[in-house]
Amino acid sequence: MAKDVKPTRKNLMAIEDRIELSERGHDTLEQKRDGLIMEFMDILDEAQDVRSNLESDYDTAQKKINMARAMEGDVAVRGAAAALKEHPEITTESNNIMGVVVPQIESSKVKKSLGERGYGVLGTSARIDEAAEAYEELLESIILAAEVETAMKKMLTEIETTKRRVNALEFKLLPELKENQEFIEQKLEEQEREEIFRMKKIKDKKEAEEDELEAEAEREREAVSAD
Amino acid sequence: MSQEIAVIGSPEFTTGFRLAGVRKFENITPEEKSDELDDAVRSVARDQEVGIVVMHAEDLDYLSREPRSIVDTSVEPTFVTVGGDAGSSGLREQIKRAIGIDLMEED
Repeated sequence: MAKDVKPTRKNLMAIEDRIELSERGHDTLEQKRDGLIMEFMDILDEAQDVRSNLESDYDTAQKKINMARAMEGDVAVRGAAAALKEHPEITTESNNIMGVVVPQIESSKVKKSLGERGYGVLGTSARIDEAAEAYEELLESIILAAEVETAMKKMLTEIETTKRRVNALEFKLLPELKENQEFIEQKLEEQEREEIFRMKKIKDKKEAEEDELEAEAEREREAVSAD
Repeated sequence: MSQEIAVIGSPEFTTGFRLAGVRKFENITPEEKSDELDDAVRSVARDQEVGIVVMHAEDLDYLSREPRSIVDTSVEPTFVTVGGDAGSSGLREQIKRAIGIDLMEED
């Protein structure tokens, strides 16, 4: 609130400094927000491709496992699933996009050979192998989707934060500072006008007094010369 | 640190992933979904060893508000949904909020 600040020259200078700093910060944040949005657009295109691949891989995997279930029976498929020995693992490294740390996911042991799967070759059929293979491919797509979607989530959070900061500076802080600056400037001008008016009054009074003294001296001189 | 993939859903949904080697899974039958899916999401989200959680998009409808927001916003672990149209509905909402436009609008 403008009424809360003391209308002094020192405060005015401090506010002018803050306005300058805020305006510079506002411009920088605006550039950061625009840059983040551009980076985000690139990731979004990639994400849409990844998502469509993921959905088609899921459909394929579903068809394969349904076929395996129909041919071998649900119990055989579940039995093979329970026998798996190798488990897919993921390790996360980080990557930096305009100050936003996004993950880079590396996977291992997702695709396995028939021997690595752990279920007996004799007890199962090719249908189960095909389903397992389809699900391994699906897992690879899921890992890629996780990487891209995490990057998107992190960038969106950063964009939201930056946008909020830009708006706070633009619509709250800067208008308040400018209001305070105007208030102090007006007050200082008012004080200056009062000062000038006071000086004028004093000057007028002094001149009137001097005129009076002069007139009195004149009267005295006239009285002396008359005598 | 290496992490694992987890899967939450009906036994039919999880079997395929187990066939690909996923060993962390929460089997929830369709009848139990409205009661137990929330707890399954919470417990998997707390598991430090899990990096990615796979769920079926239709199962998101059974979640109450707080677990749903975990699924939509969690980064560690990341939730990936498959199947159905709601693939990235949480993300879509977040994009609308952050950018101001629905960039995932279907043409």
